[in-house]
Amino acid sequence: MTWWRTAALRTQPRFCEPFCNLEPDGDGMLSRQENELLTQIDSGTEAGEYFRRFWLPALLPTEVPTPDCPPVRVRLLGEDLVAFRDTNGRVGLLEEACPHRRASLFWGRNEECGLRCVYHGWKFDVSGICVDMPNEPQEYRFDNKVRTTAYPTCEYGGLVWVYMGPPEHRPELPKLEWARVPQSHRYVSKRLQETNYLQAIEGGIDSSHSNFLHASLDAFRLTDSYVEKVKNSSNLRAKYHLLDKAPWFTVKKTDYGLVIAVRRNAEENSYYWRLTQFLLPSHTIIPYQAGHSINGHCWVPRDDQTCWVWTVSWNPDAPLSLVDFEMIQDESFVHARVDPATFKPVRNRENQYMVDREQQRTTTMTGIHGFASQDQAIQESMGPIVDRTRERLGTSDTAIIAMRRLLLQEIRGLAQACEPFAARHGDVYWVRSASLLLKRNVEFDEGARDLMKAEV
Amino acid sequence: MELNGQSGVSPREVNPAHIVAVMNFSADTLRSIIAHMEVSTEFEHLVYREAELDAIWSITGFFLVNEPDSSQREAVKRLHAGALRAHDLVADRRPEDAATVLRTFL
Repeated sequence: MTWWRTAALRTQPRFCEPFCNLEPDGDGMLSRQENELLTQIDSGTEAGEYFRRFWLPALLPTEVPTPDCPPVRVRLLGEDLVAFRDTNGRVGLLEEACPHRRASLFWGRNEECGLRCVYHGWKFDVSGICVDMPNEPQEYRFDNKVRTTAYPTCEYGGLVWVYMGPPEHRPELPKLEWARVPQSHRYVSKRLQETNYLQAIEGGIDSSHSNFLHASLDAFRLTDSYVEKVKNSSNLRAKYHLLDKAPWFTVKKTDYGLVIAVRRNAEENSYYWRLTQFLLPSHTIIPYQAGHSINGHCWVPRDDQTCWVWTVSWNPDAPLSLVDFEMIQDESFVHARVDPATFKPVRNRENQYMVDREQQRTTTMTGIHGFASQDQAIQESMGPIVDRTRERLGTSDTAIIAMRRLLLQEIRGLAQACEPFAARHGDVYWVRSASLLLKRNVEFDEGARDLMKAEV
Repeated sequence: MELNGQSGVSPREVNPAHIVAVMNFSADTLRSIIAHMEVSTEFEHLVYREAELDAIWSITGFFLVNEPDSSQREAVKRLHAGALRAHDLVADRRPEDAATVLRTFL
């Protein structure tokens, strides 16, 4: 039967017509149930328990800069917490509500190795033990029997990390390259994104969007001046994206997660490969070209509808350069300026990301300054939790499909008592992204093997 | 030509690590996907099959929206539903069963 052989090619999408008549139950290729399984991260949910098997970035050390400094609020995995640095310099992360009458410990006094609730004076140390209960008569005190929820923390790689899972499953710290370089070789920023973590990760591994969302109009239109500028450029990405607009996608499952390989035609005998890592549960590394700094992200669920975007730039061989810091300062690439108290980006939904429509008309695809703000604008435009049952994916979405499938396998595995391998094996994170030319007969995992090893 | 099961594609031509270019939902395209399904074993292969079925589902969905009066509508609707069924079977690591579903549309 060939009745549909030619029909599809004539079919062009008309986006004005809704699909809801087609799937009355709203279930698409990713079912509503799977979407919820992936995106719900409160305590007791399956994905929530999965994330609670890993060390997660929690706050910048500068948020609690000195012993006995004021405490700060931290929301993670749907839990309201309060962080403080005690007299000995240790960082505590406690449930925000005091177990006595549920008053907020954010108003507490940070004093003499503990955080004291100002309502009735109960005081807790970094391990959550109530070390003082002054409102009770001496003979009725039960301070040593009271404990509030407290999570272990660790200062590592320029961040305070937290482990929010069962003590008996405490994992290893991930040996990420950026976490192990000297402080002068690394820059870390934190920003709030008002979407679920999953669509933020999807943006991070979606290689095909950069030719559009982040493009200049010259690059998109392939103007003569642009072609002339990049055809002999040392910027391999610009050069070979120009030559091949329809890349070939492949993924490879690894101990740490996935390596996502995108291949473009380069010279007669070679392919240009860009290799991105997705590292469980939610780290990514952007393809790196030798001689430049490396960039990566970690997307940590704040709750179901928001996430923390941790962005890291690092150079394994030398301190970050003035050029690196200029790019950070002018927000042109992966970092964005934020409100120092809330970490909400200066360019945000309320001010329409400061879009410049004239610039969009004449210069760039979006008119929004900087890759980070462009990503944030487009990801937040999809709603806090995108309805994946209404998506229409194609083969260029292979990396996203693979990441979701891997996370679903891992989350379901844990629900059946299969502990996540990567959480217990910090060494598997010892990898680096790559972009390189390889002869056409060489597979990427062979040709890039040495480049993908981290070196500190 | 040596045939690979009922798919009509030579096994020598089938590399499960390659993604079938889904430009339409023709019988040839379905045959190629089926042939790749029959030799898919690894996580990566199944991801590629999912991507191909996503694409079939997408373009049949667009067809159904854009061609409401087509005489092929009922058949395309069945294929649209079949692609979803096959996709779920692939996700369940059952590519052979998924191939069986798709074969009914040849």
